[in-house]
Formats: sequence, structure tokens, C-alpha cells
Amino acid sequence: MSLEGLDLAMVEAAQAGSTSAFARLVDRHQQPLRAFLRRTCGDWAMADDLAQETFLTAWSRIGALKAGASVRAWLCGIGYNKHLTALRSRGRERARERTYAAENPPSGPSMTGERLALEAAMAELPPDQRACVALCLAADFSHAEAADAFGLPLGTVKSHVARGRARLLQVLGGSDARS
Amino acid sequence: MPDPDKTDADDRMKALFAQDQPPARDPLFSAAVMVRIARRRFQADVAMLACVTGVGGLVLWGLWPTLSPTLIALSQGLAPVAACLTLAAIVTVPLMGGRPGAALGLES
Repeated sequence: MSLEGLDLAMVEAAQAGSTSAFARLVDRHQQPLRAFLRRTCGDWAMADDLAQETFLTAWSRIGALKAGASVRAWLCGIGYNKHLTALRSRGRERARERTYAAENPPSGPSMTGERLALEAAMAELPPDQRACVALCLAADFSHAEAADAFGLPLGTVKSHVARGRARLLQVLGGSDARS
Repeated sequence: MPDPDKTDADDRMKALFAQDQPPARDPLFSAAVMVRIARRRFQADVAMLACVTGVGGLVLWGLWPTLSPTLIALSQGLAPVAACLTLAAIVTVPLMGGRPGAALGLES
């Protein structure tokens, strides 16, 4: 059975109420979802919390997932909305967090200079642009898949990816062949 | 066929992004998600049982003046039937996986 076919069978079983089928979906999709959220949030612990919240929401909304739709893109869309909600609700605490972040750098592995530069450049991108870069450049989503996941127009996604890529390449010291 | 638009910096960027990748299998993470789902289902079951009990109590309270004389008259005959129904409920709910919603036919 193909991977898409496997997803389809598991989604159908989960829609019928099977928790074991949903557990297999969690197993299969935790890696791409967490990677996407880590790149979007920058904070690994927060990304994993959001990933858990995403799966909880996915469980309660699994009935709304259309047959044949990409589970990975659907989960990333939910995760992205969770991230935006978290950003908004934490806006009031931003000043306090800046102080905390200065004293406690985000959790993650030890980083090389180039990696730190990439993290810093990603953090400077607007949330929409960062999410598009995380899906299209890091996770090999097509522009159409990303547009579908985020509910953005295709042209907007293409422009976000192009601008984000140019900014990141500038930081990494590479030339942007497309510009 | 290689993408002519891609540069070495693109490949370097991709390699740096790959360092964010969590393990392909993470039983601890998956278990944490499933525990939270089980907890949520349990809370939903308790809430549903509380609603059913509350509504049942209200209905009984409202109908009691009408039911009371009839029940007193039929109490001798109803006692064995009520005992059988209670026994059936005690047996059915655990057989349906301990989920009252399934036992009442409210979920698949």
C-alpha cells in the first residue's frame, strides 16, 4: 500500500472512532509537524507543546478532513494557526519574555555560527513569511500545498518564499540565483 | 535533473534546516499525545453522564406527582423488572468497553 493509501485508511478508521488508527497517524506525522513548528517558533519546547495541541485539535476535527486531502498539510495548517494564536496571546508578555530570553536562550542543540545566523534571520522574518519558508524551503512542500495548508493565495506564498529565501541567502553569504 | 535556480547556499540552508528534524519515531511524544486524548475522552464521558443524570433527575422531579400514585400501585409488579433492568445495565456498560455513550448507542 502507498503512503497516501495508508494515510487514507488510517484517517477513515480514525473518523470511525479508532484511537489506535489515530495513534498511528501521530506516529507517522509527528516528525514533519514538529520540524515545521520548530522552524516557525524557534523554541523547541514551545514547538512540541504546540504539536501536542495540534494533534488534540486534529482528533476533535478529524471528521472534517476530506477524503484524499494531505494529512501532513492539514496538520501543518492547524499547527500554524495554533502558533499565531500563541503569538497573539503572548503579545502582552513580550517585554517580560525578552528579558527571560536574554537570560535563557531557546532550548535546542548547540549551534554553529552559521546555524545561529540562520535562526536569527528566521526570527526576523514576519510570521507568514517564516511559515512559508519552513514548509517550502525546509520541508519540500510545493507552493500550492503550502497555500492550501495556510489558506493563503498562491501568489502570496510564492512571494513570501522568494523574499524569505533572498533574506536567508543574504545572511548565509550566498547569491540568490533567481534575482 | 538538478534545479538550475538552486545555489550552494540553498543546499547549505537545507542542511542547516535538517538539524531541526526530530526523530522519525518518538514513542514518548506519541504517548503524551494519546494520554491527553484519553483524558479528553474521559472528561467528555463524565460530562455526558452528568448531563444525562441531571436531565433524568429533572424529568423525574417534574413527573413525580403524576408517576407517584401509579408507581405505588405498581411497585409490587415493577420491582423484579427494575432489578432486571439494573442488572442488564451493569452487564452491558462494561461489555461495551466501559463507554456509556457506546452502551446507549450514541457513538460507533
